[in-house]
Amino acid sequence: MGTIVKFGALAAVIVFALFLAVVAGDYGPWYFAWLVGTTMIILISVAGAVMFETQLTINEDRRL
Amino acid sequence: MPLIDPNVVDLSRLQFALTALYHFLFVPLTLGLTIMLAAMETVYVITGKQVYKDMTHFWGKLFGINFAIGVATGLTMEFEFGTNWSMYSHFVGDVFGTPLAIEGLMAFFMESTFVGLMFFGWDRLSKPAHLAVTYLVALGSNLSALWILVANGFMQNPQGASFDPDTMRMQFNDFTALVFSPDAQAKFVHTSIAGFVAGAMFVMGISAYYMLRGRHREFAARSFRMAALFGLVSTLAVVTLGDALGRLDYLVQPTKIAAMEGLWHTSTPPSAPWLIAALPNDATQSNSMEIGVPYVLTPLVAHSLNTPIPGLIDLEQANVPRVDNGIKAIAALQQYGETHSATSLATFKQYENDMGYGFLAQRYAPNQDVNLITPALLPSVEQQAVKDSIPNVFVTFWSFRIMMVLGFYFVAIFAFAAYYSLKNQLEKHPMLLKLCMWSIPAPILATEFGWVTAEAGRQPWTVYGWLPTFQSASSHDVGYMIFSLAGFALLYSAFIAAELYLMFKFARLGPDEHGVAAHHSPVDASIAAPIFAKPGFANKSWE
Repeated sequence: MGTIVKFGALAAVIVFALFLAVVAGDYGPWYFAWLVGTTMIILISVAGAVMFETQLTINEDRRL
Repeated sequence: MPLIDPNVVDLSRLQFALTALYHFLFVPLTLGLTIMLAAMETVYVITGKQVYKDMTHFWGKLFGINFAIGVATGLTMEFEFGTNWSMYSHFVGDVFGTPLAIEGLMAFFMESTFVGLMFFGWDRLSKPAHLAVTYLVALGSNLSALWILVANGFMQNPQGASFDPDTMRMQFNDFTALVFSPDAQAKFVHTSIAGFVAGAMFVMGISAYYMLRGRHREFAARSFRMAALFGLVSTLAVVTLGDALGRLDYLVQPTKIAAMEGLWHTSTPPSAPWLIAALPNDATQSNSMEIGVPYVLTPLVAHSLNTPIPGLIDLEQANVPRVDNGIKAIAALQQYGETHSATSLATFKQYENDMGYGFLAQRYAPNQDVNLITPALLPSVEQQAVKDSIPNVFVTFWSFRIMMVLGFYFVAIFAFAAYYSLKNQLEKHPMLLKLCMWSIPAPILATEFGWVTAEAGRQPWTVYGWLPTFQSASSHDVGYMIFSLAGFALLYSAFIAAELYLMFKFARLGPDEHGVAAHHSPVDASIAAPIFAKPGFANKSWE
């Protein structure tokens, strides 16, 4: 049941994202760019932190 | 309509500029830090590492200080529209009030509500729920900025409203046109992401301070990494969006672009130089000194190789017919007010779009009555009015230059910071760390200069092409204005002092002394060592 709910929630997010892409892309391309750009900025920053943890783990393994 | 005392207008402008610039010392940091907090907490939820929760806690507290004082400085500005800019509020209140009301009711309340949940909900909400709250704080703060910039977008490029000669004010008739105005959109994206740069530099600079002192290393190294990457992408976006915003201004506000580029005469493509530095002289309408790079101006501004960029002197003269039309519009409007005749209304409608230029001419008409402008007087009135139709070039040119230079400086510093952080070699570059630390105020300064460029470049209008600034103010006396200006300056300076005191105090204390146990995670403690394990780093003082 939990998986179905998660699937449904993610599907709703996708539909909302597509709606935004179509509507905001047509009428507010800059707003759409902000949404996409901000998401990308957050993801790159998050990826940097995750990479940091990976680098530390690798360093630690080498030391051991 | 009698003219408002020019000294009162100047003092009203000074007061608004002062309060806006003070307020804007806090805004960029709020915009950027909320998004950074969301990113940090995302890593906490993904990895489950305590240090990222500590980071969200600590930077969240610094955000809280900034947010509280920022709100206090922002509230007075909304009242100022009524107290000092009553003519403006009467003229466009119907349009301008809408986004401001939405900002207050939707974005600001949303932001404030979720700020409370973010600070006090750590032990009451699940991880995903708290993360959602943090994202809603970030969204709320940026939505606040959105509605303010929608209102400002209307002032820059009025859309979605029309002048009603019966009520003598702008009537709001198209919400979509207002919200989706290209100017509003571009301004929001540019300003919001400039705030991200400020937030990133703030986190990076304070993290650099801890690294230089050998304190809170694992906390600082992670914060630095996230901020450097966050800042690098944001800065690249700001520079790109700034170029696009300039292109938009070139299309709708050619006088602003010409002033930003110190361009008095229409350029000759493709060899027209882009001025690196110049000393624009507004009185003589020339540049006393120029240093330029040939072949850059045309592609930079027009995005083509053969489009001439109109210069200010030519733009002035192009406004002469608009002043003539504006005089006819004002005369017809006055007649319509007295007779309500269909003929005068039809005449007004014919010249309506140039009404604002008629207001510029009104200042030079005998007894400020355009009906008294004789054919003999007309050329003199025209020339005086068109001289007023361009902004102050020196201020616009240099504020734009400072903002732009700082923007490219941010690209460089974030690029080096991200590179050395990714290679875990920050400890070998103490100068870079020091530079990061000292650069904390620079993005805030850049946004201030950007704001000056946008607002000074829009002059002489409060609503571009429709309402001149000198007709927008309230009819106070000079003494009242000086008194309130001094009061604001003192109060806001106290706010700044409080902000700086608290920020320095809590940043110096750091996460440990702040009640945030940054080193209690055994996992983090074990993996933190390799980065700064090089002998001497912790004890070395580079300051």
